[in-house]
Amino acid sequence: MFKLNLKIALRNLWKNRTSSFINVSGLAIGLAACLLLLLYVSYEWSFDKQGKHSGDVYRVMTNYIDANGRIDGTGEQTGNAIGPVLKEDYPGIKAMSRISAQGKELIANGMQGFKREAFFADKDILNIFEYDFIYGNQQTALDAPNNIILTESTAKLLFGTTDVLNKSVRYLNKLDFKVTGVIKDIPDNSSNKFDFLMPWSIYEQIEEWAKTPAWTNNNWTTLVKMDPAANIKEFNKSIKGLIRKHEPEAYAEPFLFPFGELHLHGVFTNGISSGGKIEQVRLFMGLAIGILLIACINFMNMATAKSEKRAKEVGIKKTLGATRGSLVTQFMIESLVLTLCSAIMAITLIEVFLPLFNNLLGIALNITYSNPLVWICLAGVVLLTGFIAGSYPAFYLSSFNPVQALKKKGFKRGWSAVNLRQVLVVGQFSFAIILIIATIVIYKQIQFIKDRPVGYQISELIEMPLEGELKGKFELLKEKLVSSGAVSDVYRSSSSISRTGSNFWGMEWPGSTETDKQFVFNQIATTYDFIKTTGIKLIQGREFSPQFASDTAAVMLSSSAVKHMNLAKPVGQLVKYQGKPCTVIGVFEDFILGSPFKRDRPMVVIFSEEWNNIVTMRLNSVNSVSANMAMIESITKEINPAYPVELSFVDQLYADKLKTQKVLGVLSNLFGGLAIFISCLGLFGLAAYSAEQRTKEIGVRKVLGASVASLMQLLSFSFLKMVTLSIVIAIPVAYYIMNNWLNSFEFHTSLSWVVILVASGGTLAIALFTVSFQAYKAAKANPVNALKYE
Amino acid sequence: MIKIENLEKVYKTEEVETTALNGINMHVKTGEFVSIMGPSGCGKSTLLNVMGLLDKPESGSYKFLETELLTMNDRERSNFRKQNMGFVFQNFNLIDELTVFENIELPLIYNKVGVTERKRLVNEIIERMNIVNRSGHFPQQLSGGQQQRVAVARALVTKPKLVLADEPTGNLDSSHGNEVMELLCELNEQGTTIVMVTHSSHDASFSNRIINLKDGHVISEKINKTRTEELI
Repeated sequence: MFKLNLKIALRNLWKNRTSSFINVSGLAIGLAACLLLLLYVSYEWSFDKQGKHSGDVYRVMTNYIDANGRIDGTGEQTGNAIGPVLKEDYPGIKAMSRISAQGKELIANGMQGFKREAFFADKDILNIFEYDFIYGNQQTALDAPNNIILTESTAKLLFGTTDVLNKSVRYLNKLDFKVTGVIKDIPDNSSNKFDFLMPWSIYEQIEEWAKTPAWTNNNWTTLVKMDPAANIKEFNKSIKGLIRKHEPEAYAEPFLFPFGELHLHGVFTNGISSGGKIEQVRLFMGLAIGILLIACINFMNMATAKSEKRAKEVGIKKTLGATRGSLVTQFMIESLVLTLCSAIMAITLIEVFLPLFNNLLGIALNITYSNPLVWICLAGVVLLTGFIAGSYPAFYLSSFNPVQALKKKGFKRGWSAVNLRQVLVVGQFSFAIILIIATIVIYKQIQFIKDRPVGYQISELIEMPLEGELKGKFELLKEKLVSSGAVSDVYRSSSSISRTGSNFWGMEWPGSTETDKQFVFNQIATTYDFIKTTGIKLIQGREFSPQFASDTAAVMLSSSAVKHMNLAKPVGQLVKYQGKPCTVIGVFEDFILGSPFKRDRPMVVIFSEEWNNIVTMRLNSVNSVSANMAMIESITKEINPAYPVELSFVDQLYADKLKTQKVLGVLSNLFGGLAIFISCLGLFGLAAYSAEQRTKEIGVRKVLGASVASLMQLLSFSFLKMVTLSIVIAIPVAYYIMNNWLNSFEFHTSLSWVVILVASGGTLAIALFTVSFQAYKAAKANPVNALKYE
Repeated sequence: MIKIENLEKVYKTEEVETTALNGINMHVKTGEFVSIMGPSGCGKSTLLNVMGLLDKPESGSYKFLETELLTMNDRERSNFRKQNMGFVFQNFNLIDELTVFENIELPLIYNKVGVTERKRLVNEIIERMNIVNRSGHFPQQLSGGQQQRVAVARALVTKPKLVLADEPTGNLDSSHGNEVMELLCELNEQGTTIVMVTHSSHDASFSNRIINLKDGHVISEKINKTRTEELI
C-alpha cells in the first residue's frame, strides 16, 4: 500500500511539474530561511552555556544607587575586593575568579609576535569554566605567576603546533611566560573569549595599583560558581549591603546574575533584567516561523486547489474500500515526500548561503553533520513542516463523500475551502507587507543617522594604538610622521574619537552645587593638535598649545557642557577637575562620540601627557592613501619593531556603530523579499489553477465577445482584492510596530505615508504582475480548445 | 440475496428538499441480472449508490444475505463493500496515475491480499479480460472500451458477490458497448449477481429483469423471458 501511495505521489508530482516545482522550491526557500534563522537563534541561545555546569556560574553585578536611594543603573563590572570576600565568607560559593580582559595584546615566540586577546584571571577560573585541555594539567596550570595557557589556535599561530608545553612566550615584549596549558579554542558564542590566559598574581605585579583592594573602582569582571543547591534569591539578600560595609561612602549594591542568561537578558531597569538581545532572538524566531508558515500556506493552498482533480481518486479509492485513515496517511506521505525533497534542496541552499549569512552577521555558524542532534532537529522540522503543510489537504481531501467526489459535486464551490484559502493568502501577504514596511523604515532610519553631521572631518582620519616603544617616543613619532609628508596633523589621546572611552563625575564650576557633582561628563585626555587634526569646530577660545605652559592645568568644554554649567562667558573661568583647579581655554561644538542614535553626555577635554593610548592622524591629501599608509607603517615599525602596526580608518569605526541596525536592515530586507517571493510563488500557482478551472467560463465569455482586457480584469480582480485586504490589515500593525521601534532611538526619522504607499503599491504591483501573467495566458487561449476540452 | 424495504432518501439544499427515493421495495436473487431504468432524476443512481453503501438513506431496510446493512457504521460499511461488492462506472473511474495492472490490483490491496496471491489474481483476470498486452499502460493510453474492460476487471478481481454497474456503456460507442454488455452477461452466466442502471433498453435487454423507476417509486417490473429461462 505504501509503495502504491508513493507511486501515486511521485507520478502526481511529475504530472503537475510546474506546480510541484512551485511547491517544492517555495517550501525549500522557506525551510532554508527558517533553518538559517534557527541556526542563528540556537547560536545565541547557547551563548555562555557550553559547560555541563554552566548553570551554576554567576556574574557579580553592581546596582548603582542615586542620592535618593533609587537604583540609577546596573553595571556588569565590580571592584577587585568583592570576589575574595565572597569566596572567603560565603560557603555557597565553590569557586571565584576575577578577570581583567586586556583586549588585544602582544604575545611573541621570539620574533614571531601577534596581538591576541589577553586575559588575567584567578586560578579558580579553571574550576568555573570547563576548558578542554589538550596539554597541561587543569589543576596546576595557573599556579605560578609566570604560567600561561594558550588556546589551540594561538599555539599554532606562535609555534605551528599545539605540543608546546613548557615552551617560553614573551608578553608585551617585556615578560617571559612558560606555557603550562594548551586548551581547545573558546567557542565564538562565549562572552569571555581569550587567546591566552595569565594568572592574576602576575597582573598584580604588572599593575601595582590593582593590588589595593577596591570596592568602588569597577574595573573588573568577577565570576563565581555556586553550589547547585544554593538559593540564589536568598544569597542575593545575604550579600545586600556588602559594599557599603567595607566602603560606607559607596552608592552601590552587589548581586549575582546567572552568567548564561546575561548575554540575552543584559538590559536592566531598576536593577531587574528587562530584556536585551533576547528581543532580537525572538524577532528572528518569529521571522523563521513566519517564513516557514508562508511556505506551508502555499503548499496547503495548492493542494486544496488541486482537490478537484484528486477528488476522483478519493472517490474511487473510497468505493474500493479505502478508509479515511488510509487516505489521510496517503496525503500525509505525499506531503512528507515533498517536504523531504524541499529539505534536500534547503540544505543545498543553506550550504551555498551560509558563508554569506555568516559574513553578514559577523559570526561563524556551521552545521556539524556528524552531530546526531542536527539530524534529529532536521527530521523534526521536516516532519512538523510536512505535517502542518499536509494536514489541511489530507483531512480536507479525505473527507469527500465518494458519491459527491465521483460526480464532482459539492466541493467545486466549497465555500469553506475557498474562504480558508483566501484567509491564508491574506495572512501571507499581510506578513510580507509588514516586513516590507519594516525594511523601508529601518533603511530610512539608518540613512537618517548616517546623514547626522558627525561634528568633525571624518574622512582621511586614521588611528592606531599608542603602545610599546611608541608610548615614550610619541614626540619622535609625530615629528617623523609630519616631516615624511604622510600626515598633516597628529595628536595622542586617552581614547578614540569614535567611541566613548571614559566618563567621570565630581566636576565643580562657578555656581555648581553638591548635587551637580554627581553629574556625569564624558572625557578625553589629550595634549596638542586635537582640534586641528580632527576639524572639530572651535566656538570660543583656543586649544591646548605648547606656547602656554599653563595649559597643563587647562580644559576645553563642549558647548553642551557649557550649557549645562550655565556659564555665560566660559573662557577664562576656573573649574575643578578631580579636585584640581583648571582654566577653561576653549569651547568646541558637540560632536558624535558614542552612539549616533543617542545624545552624548556633555564633554570635557583635559590635558594629560601620561594618559594616552591612541594616536590619531590626518592623512596628507597630496599623496595617495596607500602611499601615506605605507609610510606611516614603516615609520611606526622602525620605532616600535616588536609590535605589528594596526591602522584603522575613523570613518570605518564610525560606520561600525551602525552595524547592528544595518544587519537588522539587511535581514529584514532579505527575509521580507523572500516572504514576498514565496507569497507570489503561491499566488502564481493559485492564479494558474484558477485560470485552468475557469477554462470553460473563459471560452464561453470569449465566444460571447469578451475582450482580453476584460477577461484579465475578471481573473485578476479576486486576487487583487485579497492583496488589498492584506494591505489594509498590515498597515496599522506595521505602523504600530515600527513606530515603537523608532521611538526607542533618541534621534529617529518619522514614519511617513510615503513609506506605506511605496510598500503597498509595490506589493500590489508585484501581485498584479504575477497574476496577470497567468490571466493573459488564459485570456489569449483559443476558446474552441477550451470548449472542446469540456 | 438483496431485500430492500421502504427505502427513502431525501436531498436537502438550503432552499429545496428533493425526494430521490420514496419508499422503494425490491429484491434481487442470487445470480440474477437486474436492470434499473427510468428518466433522468428518477432516483436510479441514488438507489445504486445506496445499494453500494456509498450513500445513506433516511429510512428503510436493506438486507444483504439476511444481514441488515443500514445499521452499520462507516468502517463496517467500507469493509462490507470491499469484501462483497464490485463497481463499474459510466466514466470508468480509473486512477490516472496508476497502470492497468496497478488499478486492478488496488481493491486486492484494500482487502489485504498477499503480494503473490495478488499477482496471480490480477494476471488471471487480465488474461480473462483479454488485456494482457495493456497491463503496463496508463488509462489515458487506452480506448474507452479498453478502459471499461479494465474497470470491469477491477470490479471482478475480488470475486464479489454483487457487481453494481452505473451506465457501463454510457461513454462507449455501440460496438464497444456491446462488447462490455456481452462481458457482463458472461459474468452473470458464471454466477455473479449484477445490478445495472441504464438508460438504454438495448442494454437492459441483456438482463433477466427490468425495474422501472419514476419519481423515486418503482412503477413497474418486467421479466425478460429469454434471459430468465436461461436462468431457470
